[in-house]
Amino acid sequence: MLRFDRRLLLNFDWNLVIAILLVAGMGLANLYSATYVPGGGASSYFIKQIYFYILGFALILVLISVDYRVLISLNYPIYVLIVLLLCYALFFGSSVANTQRWINLGFFHLQPSELAKLALVINLASFFSRRDTSRGFGFRELLIPMLLTGLPFVLILKQPDLGTALMLAVIFASMALFVGIRWKTLVGMVLFVLAMLPIGWIYLLKSYQKQRILTLFNPDLDPHGSGYHIIQSKIAVGSGLLFGKGFLQGTQVHLEFLPEHHTDFAFSVWAEEWGFFGSIFFLACYCFLLLVALKIASSARDKFGVMLAYGIVSLLFWQAFINLGMILGLLPVVGMPLPLFSYGGSSLLTTLMGLGILINIGMRRFQAGGQ
Amino acid sequence: MNGQEQIHHPHRTITRIHKIDEVELFLLKRRLELVTGFILVLIVFLVLRLWFLQVHKGYEFEERAKDNRGRELRVLAPRGNILDRRGRLLITNRPSFTVVWTKEDAPNPDEVIKKLARILGDDIDVLLDRIREQSDNPRYLPLRLKEDIDWKTLVYIENNHFDLPGVRIEVLPARNYLQGNLASHLLGYLGEISKEELQESRPGEYEGGDPIGKQGLEKLLEPELRGELGHTLLEVDAHGFEKKQVASQEPLPGDDVYLTIDQELQKVAEEAMIGKAGAVVASEVNTGRLLVLASSPALKLEEFVGGISQKNWREMLDNPMRPLINKAIQGQYPPASTYKIITALAALGEGAITPETDLYCGGSLRLGNRTFNCWKRGGHGTVDLNKALAESCDVYFYQVIQKINVDILARYAEGLGFGRKTGIILEHEKGGLVPTRAWKKKTYRESWQEGESLSVAIGQGFDLVTPLQVNRMIAAVANGGILYRPELIEKIIDPDGKVVKSFEAVRDGEFKGREADLEQVRKGLIAAVNSPHGTASGIKIKGVTVAGKTGTAQVVHRSQVEDFKNENGIPYKYLDHAWFTCYAPAEKPQIAVTVLIEHGRHGASAAGPVARKVLMKYFNIPEKDEPNPAESGAGD
Repeated sequence: MLRFDRRLLLNFDWNLVIAILLVAGMGLANLYSATYVPGGGASSYFIKQIYFYILGFALILVLISVDYRVLISLNYPIYVLIVLLLCYALFFGSSVANTQRWINLGFFHLQPSELAKLALVINLASFFSRRDTSRGFGFRELLIPMLLTGLPFVLILKQPDLGTALMLAVIFASMALFVGIRWKTLVGMVLFVLAMLPIGWIYLLKSYQKQRILTLFNPDLDPHGSGYHIIQSKIAVGSGLLFGKGFLQGTQVHLEFLPEHHTDFAFSVWAEEWGFFGSIFFLACYCFLLLVALKIASSARDKFGVMLAYGIVSLLFWQAFINLGMILGLLPVVGMPLPLFSYGGSSLLTTLMGLGILINIGMRRFQAGGQ
Repeated sequence: MNGQEQIHHPHRTITRIHKIDEVELFLLKRRLELVTGFILVLIVFLVLRLWFLQVHKGYEFEERAKDNRGRELRVLAPRGNILDRRGRLLITNRPSFTVVWTKEDAPNPDEVIKKLARILGDDIDVLLDRIREQSDNPRYLPLRLKEDIDWKTLVYIENNHFDLPGVRIEVLPARNYLQGNLASHLLGYLGEISKEELQESRPGEYEGGDPIGKQGLEKLLEPELRGELGHTLLEVDAHGFEKKQVASQEPLPGDDVYLTIDQELQKVAEEAMIGKAGAVVASEVNTGRLLVLASSPALKLEEFVGGISQKNWREMLDNPMRPLINKAIQGQYPPASTYKIITALAALGEGAITPETDLYCGGSLRLGNRTFNCWKRGGHGTVDLNKALAESCDVYFYQVIQKINVDILARYAEGLGFGRKTGIILEHEKGGLVPTRAWKKKTYRESWQEGESLSVAIGQGFDLVTPLQVNRMIAAVANGGILYRPELIEKIIDPDGKVVKSFEAVRDGEFKGREADLEQVRKGLIAAVNSPHGTASGIKIKGVTVAGKTGTAQVVHRSQVEDFKNENGIPYKYLDHAWFTCYAPAEKPQIAVTVLIEHGRHGASAAGPVARKVLMKYFNIPEKDEPNPAESGAGD
């Protein structure tokens, strides 16, 4: 069975843990503020999130105790499980605000689309690591990973959850670019996507989604409707000035001008209360986390490890970048949490599992067996 | 084939794959450096964006955050009081419960307005009109929908405020007319500010829906009366609920205005005029202070609180007694026999007559092929100036005017303030008309007829005067010829008690003739009241010598009404206007009183008693000591 290897502990990446704790600490403090009601103390959101952290850290401990390479062969079982969950959510899940995203587990509502992001990373890493990556991939070789991405993509798009669906596409693109695509294939795919854009605009996007994209360019077109999020978020961030309004002092959040202030727009609260310097500090910590994760990727001992670590980094990075871009009024409003920062169990557990896998890869940067 | 097998069976295959892996690993890890660079670039991009929002544009967004939560509410200042000369309150303020509505706070405005209309018992269009009028106001400012709601409605709205998002009750100051409609024409009224008034006002001074003086002194003294707005800064959340009051600045009440008007005297005059159309003017002979300026019928000021209804407005417009006109300054009437004072002064001044000149009145005078009648068909016999004025002999003045001419008469009339505005502060004053030959040529392109001079000499024909002009003329006769500008404002006092403005007599001209001539006329006026045959002998007051002149102004030519069997059959609109103008005490004049009653028939019987009541009040003579003057038909 498992033989304890001292090198596992030696290679344990404390930097990553410190980065996680820093970001998570800020996230929790921010959640406390965002859901604070005068005289009410810690909100139920805050308490729940603490439980999820405990659950998440427990999951990390479980995940790091097994060599990450079991995931190479567990990829399809995981994939099938996730697709089944997505189908379940779509057909039998609880309906919230006209979307079918959640599965009621009693103690919490699971959002399988969050898990699907990590599952796709594992699946693609597993797939690509078993191929020769030295010459770059052509269209024919990319067909299977495309189909693997396409199935959950369509299921999530149907919920509808444009943000998460796009995230799957972004993961695929990031992974495929990383392992290498032949120039001709790349150009062809880019042209294909460009050709599909107008079709997607007409047939796939719902009118509110189109509206969100349009209002990005001119939020004042409809300041009380679709432009409201962007305007209020920018006001919150901007009014933070250099030093912020102080913990629990954000007027945009506490007077409820800012919508979704504990989930997708959590960082607006942070920027409002801690100002430019607080925001820079947060970005520095996040950047540190990503750099440590990238270091783990570059020290991984095998292709699968590199690709898996890279996939997790890109998962974290793209979610963060899209979320912040949206908060800062650079990208259209789509449902996209800021990993480790936004409130939400499914997202947090997915992120922590991903980070657990990263730690795992870092711990096993030396070959356990052989030589 | 299977990755796991490769790991668990460390044989030669593993080594081979491992070697290939090494190359691929190396390539992949080199790509990671690119990835790192890419991530760093994008993060720097986010940092720059943060800089742009929080530092470069930060203050702009801070302002917008303040706009979001800060709601500056204006607190209307209590308007200044209006008091009479002795400090008795005429108009003050009272709290008025007003329904206000903040559009921004209502998720479903149409629904709210529908409900409100039902509660207030108003037509929905009325409310929508009010909203439209205030449509330029900032979204967060409450719109005033209805003033002065009653207690039951107030309670109902307060109890149902969850059904009426954005609707609140505000307590606003409203005008309280302590003396009812007293002096309504000169006081004027408030109304909701119009688009034009809003544009003319300084920014920040008014908002749509604010009350503003629309007429009379309320309008003219708007800057003094309005005071300064107070402000309350509230912090509200996104749903419009008030969280806390951040700051507030109390409003500064408006200045108090003391009028020259005497409340009691005004009241006596107005009560005497009830049921009649006309005007009463009383002034201080030696200063120009107006003690009474009444126009009847009065305006119903209470109807203007909270905006007058269409129905009430129509009613006033259609009323034949024309309540909207301030007859004391806007009503232009033939001066009738009161004008004989001017004719007498002109003739004396030009040396055409002396007081002793005797002329004969046989009841009529023929000029060319026209007959000019005296009001007394039997004639006055031999008449000198004193008798001519006392008994108001028309024929005497027909003869006098033939000795001078109408242009000379006009010069004297103008010298005593006719034909031009008196300069009273009130708006829409009329100047009247003093006819001359040149005027007629210009206006009618016809030359002057000698017969027309005869009409003008007794105040008929083209002459038009206002009661205020007549009052000023008689005051000038009494005071030795000085024309004062009629004044209404005694003083204005700011909330700190400082006198901002106080009365000053302003001379507006002077009679150029001889004092002796004035004295001769005054004698005639005294005789008119005090001699047994005087036309105004019924006006006589025990203890006070009154000097005055009656007048009966024909509205239409005599021939038009001669068909009627008796006076009672003549339609109201054809009846003569009644004048009486006087001053007292004759020995040392203090007060001049002028009364005009539209279609009141006879100066002595209709207008005289009104003036008498005012004088009795002024000289504090109890009513019961004096028997009511006989309604003598003493004629003209």
